[in-house]
Amino acid sequence: MNKPGQAANGGQRPIDIVKGGMVRRHRAERRFKIYGLSAIVLSLAFLSFLLISIVSQGYSAFQQTYIKLEINFDQNVLSGNLATANYQALVKKALYKLFPDVKGRGDKRHLAKLVSPGASFDLRKMVLADRHIIGTTREVWLPANDDVDMAVKGHYRRDVAESERRLTDKQLAWIDVLEHRQRLEKRFNVTFFTAGDSREPEQAGILGAAMGSFYTLIVTLVLSFPIGVAAAIYLEEFAPTNKWTDLIEVNINNLAAVPSIVFGLLGLAVFLNFFGLPRSAPLVGGLVLTLMTLPTIIIASRAALKSVPPSIREAALGIGSSKMQMVLNHVLPLAMPGMLTGTIIGMAQALGETAPLLMIGMVAFIVDIPAGFTDPATVLPVQIYLWADSPERAFVERTSAAIMVLLAFLIAMNLVAILLRKRFERRW
Amino acid sequence: METNNSGVEPEPTEDGAPEAAPALKNGRLVSREDRRTVGIPTVDNPRMRTEHVDVYYNYGEKHAIKDVTLDLARNEVLAMIGPSGCGKSTYLRCLNRMNDTIDGCQVSGKITLDGEDIYAPRVDVSPLRAQIGMVFQKPNPFPKSIWENVAYGPRIHGLATNRSEQDEVVETSLKRAGLWEEVKDHLQDPGTGLSGGQQQRLCIARTIAVSPEVILMDEPCSALDPISTAVIEDLINELKEHYSIAIVTHSMQQASRVSQRTAYFHLGDLIEVGPTEQVFTTPLHQLTEDYITGRFG
Amino acid sequence: MLKKVIVSVAILSLVLAAGMANAAGRDYISIVGSSTVYPFATVVAEQFGKSTKFKTPKIESTGSGGGLKLFCAGVGVEHPDITNASRRIKASECARCAKNGVTDVIEVKVGYDGIVLANSKKAKPFNLTRKDIYLALAKQVPDPAGGEKLIPNPYKTWKDVNPSLPAVKIEVLGPPPTSGTRDAFAELAMGGGAKKIKWIKALKKKNKKAFKKIAYTVREDGAYVEAGENDNLIVQKLVANPNALGVFGFSFLDQNTDKIQGSKVDGVSPTFENIAKGTYPVSRPLFFYVKKAHIESIPGMKEYLAEFTSEKAWGNDGYLSEKGMIPMPDKERGKFAEDVKTLSILSCGDLKK
Repeated sequence: MNKPGQAANGGQRPIDIVKGGMVRRHRAERRFKIYGLSAIVLSLAFLSFLLISIVSQGYSAFQQTYIKLEINFDQNVLSGNLATANYQALVKKALYKLFPDVKGRGDKRHLAKLVSPGASFDLRKMVLADRHIIGTTREVWLPANDDVDMAVKGHYRRDVAESERRLTDKQLAWIDVLEHRQRLEKRFNVTFFTAGDSREPEQAGILGAAMGSFYTLIVTLVLSFPIGVAAAIYLEEFAPTNKWTDLIEVNINNLAAVPSIVFGLLGLAVFLNFFGLPRSAPLVGGLVLTLMTLPTIIIASRAALKSVPPSIREAALGIGSSKMQMVLNHVLPLAMPGMLTGTIIGMAQALGETAPLLMIGMVAFIVDIPAGFTDPATVLPVQIYLWADSPERAFVERTSAAIMVLLAFLIAMNLVAILLRKRFERRW
Repeated sequence: METNNSGVEPEPTEDGAPEAAPALKNGRLVSREDRRTVGIPTVDNPRMRTEHVDVYYNYGEKHAIKDVTLDLARNEVLAMIGPSGCGKSTYLRCLNRMNDTIDGCQVSGKITLDGEDIYAPRVDVSPLRAQIGMVFQKPNPFPKSIWENVAYGPRIHGLATNRSEQDEVVETSLKRAGLWEEVKDHLQDPGTGLSGGQQQRLCIARTIAVSPEVILMDEPCSALDPISTAVIEDLINELKEHYSIAIVTHSMQQASRVSQRTAYFHLGDLIEVGPTEQVFTTPLHQLTEDYITGRFG
Repeated sequence: MLKKVIVSVAILSLVLAAGMANAAGRDYISIVGSSTVYPFATVVAEQFGKSTKFKTPKIESTGSGGGLKLFCAGVGVEHPDITNASRRIKASECARCAKNGVTDVIEVKVGYDGIVLANSKKAKPFNLTRKDIYLALAKQVPDPAGGEKLIPNPYKTWKDVNPSLPAVKIEVLGPPPTSGTRDAFAELAMGGGAKKIKWIKALKKKNKKAFKKIAYTVREDGAYVEAGENDNLIVQKLVANPNALGVFGFSFLDQNTDKIQGSKVDGVSPTFENIAKGTYPVSRPLFFYVKKAHIESIPGMKEYLAEFTSEKAWGNDGYLSEKGMIPMPDKERGKFAEDVKTLSILSCGDLKK
């Protein structure tokens, strides 16, 4: 064994040559490990930077400042039509009672501004739910105005001149008094999770956009999964290999890389202008996103089908299954985890998409929470975009909070994917 | 052309020891150059008959099987041996039309099962493959339960439509495959969790569950240890009471242990067919002799 | 699996059918148009949706041009009812409307928007003239050596432009050309400045196209930075970079007075009062256009118009002014409120410029 080696290297044993090279080989290996590790550290650093900046900016949006007021549900004010009564007057009265020494029209106006204009809707809801409270006096926690909220959370500088602040000196003093009397409290912001969009930050919520995303993704899933899987099965298992299928394959791969706005334009031309479907509807959004996700799902599904070992196909064919039975009973269950993964990736992509929805009118201000597939709706990323573009300071933290909700959605979807995969894997 | 051997000696049989034994048979052995089949490939009343079959791969580029004629008798085990790439597996896969699934594979000639042409246009491959079962080189149970592995075939073919019929076919098949005692208490366990030898017997049970007439085995023991191999060989001996079996094997010992007749393939040609004992003790063809004495293969 | 496919196809066709049925009628108002009017229109829409029995209108921010294109596409539920605009409708757009059967259009002016140049509070406030703005930001400027000749913009610092200004590098963050704010800024601030130079002013009368090219083309050598449509982003960048100036709508200055300050233009500060009075030179009117044919067929149209034109919305102390919109003078408000009440129609002939 070492005879020829010795002969060729003038007395040096081959094992010495091998050992001599080991230093270099180990160094190369260490270097490679360091490259890999630093790549991971770098991406983790970016990720944590992103998460930290979002969370640190957004966590305060999950709290909202409330002011406790003794509201007298005055019979005189609440006579006649309860839906259109002047609830604002009830709020004002309670505030004036709290600060009896505030005189003058201007001061009174500034005082009234401490409470959100949405407070009157809260009171209306209370009255409509239970008419017996008319005539009584109740302690009610009402949302503060967004400027008050920002000041309490410390997002406003108090040390600049009065004319350069959104809140006057007096308003700041009143806030301090309220805080001192324990009538000012930061509470969990339920509105953020139960309301639709609003131009008043303290009344704005994510539910409308979340429902819009939900309906849109349902349409996308119901369409793209069966169509994508069927197309992949046909191409992979049944279609003959010839120029046409090659052409189709090239086109599908191409479509996966087409900018999403193009699908929006297509959706505008086909679904809105030709079929006359309603603008801003989750149905159309889902159709457009289906076009966008189909290539991803088809490619992933084909890869999953390809990875099923041929021995399984042979086994099925060998006992006389038809091709269809082979595919449906044996190949598909094995390919399903891969297909699901591809589908979830596609759906996650669709969840974060805004560009194609711009074309079909889903980038819109929509207050009412959509209740169906044809109600006007917007989606989470669009809501983030719209809030990021709003002048009010309080929308900054809500933007970050909305991003957190979107991330939570993505994490939930990925968890579902993992669970489904586990389930399918356990079966065999 | 039963001519010289000593005179030509085309083989580059290096250095000393130029096969001492064949000197006896000199003049009787067929030349290595002659690739026509020697021996008698046909039998009376065959189960399957193959006449002048040629197989091409890659749309005619590769000639994998050249003009093979060979019969498979009833209740016999026919062993097919030969060096790697000689076409024995390809030939075997022609018998239940598994080659249909390969793009660019063309089969010509005539193959019959009980006199019926299995390549006739109106023949449906699904029932054909139920009639001619196949066991593969690597055990390939479905990634499902043991019970489901066996019951699946009878169910799709409508042989066992309700649960009790299926239970019955599972039990008889597993018993016949000699696996019942080992698995009867955990039929719902995954088939892939069994040992290699058990898996292969499960595959045999799966094959016989659809009541075939012929079983094709493609090197069924090549992935198994000697003990499992011995179990499968015993099983093959029992199974031939009910079925005709064609087995491809790399092991000449296995061929001599389980088969009644042996066919030797060489580079797509069927070189020699004969009773197993004769082929292994007194081969008629120089190539057969070379192979069984271990000169190549 | 096959069953699932069949079921989902069935569901889909049902959904599609429902969609078709829905398209036949619409129970909410559909509004498109300018991103400048969007923050005001949305407030009105929300107020309207919460205080009436009607659904809240749906408002898309498509830009003035895009909105008018959608608006003028035809009459019917699939087309929007109202479009917002940060400029007046053009004669060509009016003609296109008429061609598509949108003949009866009501024009409503809602107020004014000021475009401000602002910088960080950490730096000194600027006191600019429109001519300074033009000279600092145009791609080509008149040769300082004299004569009616244009040279590529040579100015590096504000002091180069006007000796009374600080020696700070010219760095202006502003919206991209797709934005209506940018159009208005180019027209009002830069165009206004260019007109202060005699021979260029003379050119305007002779050759309008050449004037526009000279006056409205922004330099591309890095002094003007296109900072995207998001005005919040510009505000953040200004805070981080005290040397830079930013161009955006008044409402963003209004919301961030603790961080940034507006520059005086022609000696006038961009305050609410000055813009309302009309003394601040860089301000523009805001409009919306209503399809008369839809007033009867879409529920809530009349009420929405009434809400928008009520004193509590667009009045001097209305909630729109709180959001940064500059109200019109009383007389002008009265005129447009009357127009809305009588549904008086805009005639394309009046649009000749």
